[in-house]
Amino acid sequence: MIEKTTPSRILFNILNYSFMIFFSFVCIIPLWHVLMASISDPRGLMAASGVLWKPIGEATLRGYGMVLKNKSIIIGYGNTVFYVVFAAVAGTILTTVSGYLISRKNFRPAKFLTLFIMFTMMFSGGLIPTYMVIKGLGMINTRWAVMLPGVMNAFYIIMMKSSFEQLSDSYEESARLDGAGPVTILFRILLPLVKAGLAVIIMFTIVLQWNSWYPASIYLPRVREYWPLQLFMRELLIQNDTAKIMTGTDAAQAADYTANLVKYCVTIVGTIPILCVYPFAQKYFVTGVTMGGVKG
Amino acid sequence: MAGKIKKVKKASWRHDFLMNKGLYFLMIPIILYFLIFNYAPMFGLVIAFEDFKPTRGILGSNWVGLKNFIDFFTGPNFFIILRNTLAISLLGLFIGFPLGIVFALLLSELKILRFKKTVQTISYLPYFVSTVVIAGLIIEFCSSNGIVTSLLVVVLRIPRENLLTNPDYFWAINLISDIWQGLGYGSIVYVAAITSVSGELHEAAAIDGATRLRRAWHITIPGIMPTIVTMLIIKCGMLMNVGFDKILLLYNPSIYSTADVISTHVQRMGIENAQYGYSTAVGLFNSVVGTLLLFISNYLSSKFADQSII
Repeated sequence: MIEKTTPSRILFNILNYSFMIFFSFVCIIPLWHVLMASISDPRGLMAASGVLWKPIGEATLRGYGMVLKNKSIIIGYGNTVFYVVFAAVAGTILTTVSGYLISRKNFRPAKFLTLFIMFTMMFSGGLIPTYMVIKGLGMINTRWAVMLPGVMNAFYIIMMKSSFEQLSDSYEESARLDGAGPVTILFRILLPLVKAGLAVIIMFTIVLQWNSWYPASIYLPRVREYWPLQLFMRELLIQNDTAKIMTGTDAAQAADYTANLVKYCVTIVGTIPILCVYPFAQKYFVTGVTMGGVKG
Repeated sequence: MAGKIKKVKKASWRHDFLMNKGLYFLMIPIILYFLIFNYAPMFGLVIAFEDFKPTRGILGSNWVGLKNFIDFFTGPNFFIILRNTLAISLLGLFIGFPLGIVFALLLSELKILRFKKTVQTISYLPYFVSTVVIAGLIIEFCSSNGIVTSLLVVVLRIPRENLLTNPDYFWAINLISDIWQGLGYGSIVYVAAITSVSGELHEAAAIDGATRLRRAWHITIPGIMPTIVTMLIIKCGMLMNVGFDKILLLYNPSIYSTADVISTHVQRMGIENAQYGYSTAVGLFNSVVGTLLLFISNYLSSKFADQSII
């Protein structure tokens, strides 16, 4: 499209580009500040106010040293990785199978199943009844309480359904002629064709699981060994409870203002993995959001 | 075979089962899962009508009919909680929602593609940051010596205090952090939709002398209307579930008057104070209203804009 370079156009462009640069800064600055703070000198940190563009005093990795050797953080990390992998693997498989099931035109229960699943998107029992069910199953204070309830997401199932429906019928038809059953068709033939949809689900699942803290907070109140990282972070950052995380030699240094430093380091440590994932996932991310309309 | 209509005969159950044996077996765990984790809790809603005591269980507790609901509606906090829920949601809807569209429009005006892509990528970075971290950031920046507090003291001459202890600031804090986190991410759908709006229409309008603004208003926006309406319906359906976990992390008793919303009320009364019957009732009220809103907005949009998602 040919652009007329009128003065008003130029002005608009200047404003727009400037705004975008400003907005980009606004998005990054809080995290940059935290990053800088995490490698700052702890004493200087206490005195400082204002946004940190560079570390205060001598850059030091002391905070990270403490964080990465800290038992709670290590446990939290391990748990989170475990929960994320489980959700990504089990969740994706279950979701894909479900989506496949309800996309099959020659499968009689398909329509019923679709409604059965969709209804759960529109109405749910709510917090307390769900809690009661989990409790009744004896899953409170076990890992299952955090792993099972969210593993299949109706929204993603519907998304996979659409993905399968967009594939040409001829794949299944010719496979059937060769005598393949529906399960074989799914795993051997159709699965590779819906890679985009799979990537989207895996990616969103990873991000959601990584950042998840609430289910663990109500289902694992006493069992710290099962806590995901975010829950320890909540204790540290929100409840300001440094006492539980820092023990032993850490406590001796707590008077040294390092408690504050540790908060920043923990924040970075808990966010870096996601930040590393997201540029790669970007490709699928945009497709996924447009495919689904929104992921609430 | 022109002229011949292929009749699709519905296979008999037996035939269907033989053809799709594998699917029938796979179906079982899936149905079980939803029955256990989604439908069983729906039966638990019965608790809303009982004076539930954990020791007596669902069947043993006394039936009290609508008492829990009445307690909620006539309770001292009802109007406040409802007001907060609606205020926070509607603020997000009336401010956050249009901003997403505007941002997408502005992004689409960036002709230097690499710049546009870079800004886009950066703009949805905040979405990936966990709520815990964001809440932690807010708590720090809004503390008495925090960056934001200091800035506001200088620019707006407000008294220096922890911003999260003053009820008047909460809605703004929540809204701004929601926008920070969601603007870039929310605009993705729109940017994609905008690129598919016919370039020819724009050309024709430009030749006729239409300014950028008029073209945006008369061509682009109508062009992405289906997307906008779909997003709007979904947002309406989620009106009652307003940003629950962030509020939960940020709020404290001194700002309950503006920060307590229906979902946090349920959490506090239910999980923390073990008032199971009451909080289930409140939760049920919340779900029902949410579902109603979804259907209403869906209906309205199908009537007036020819768009619906159900």
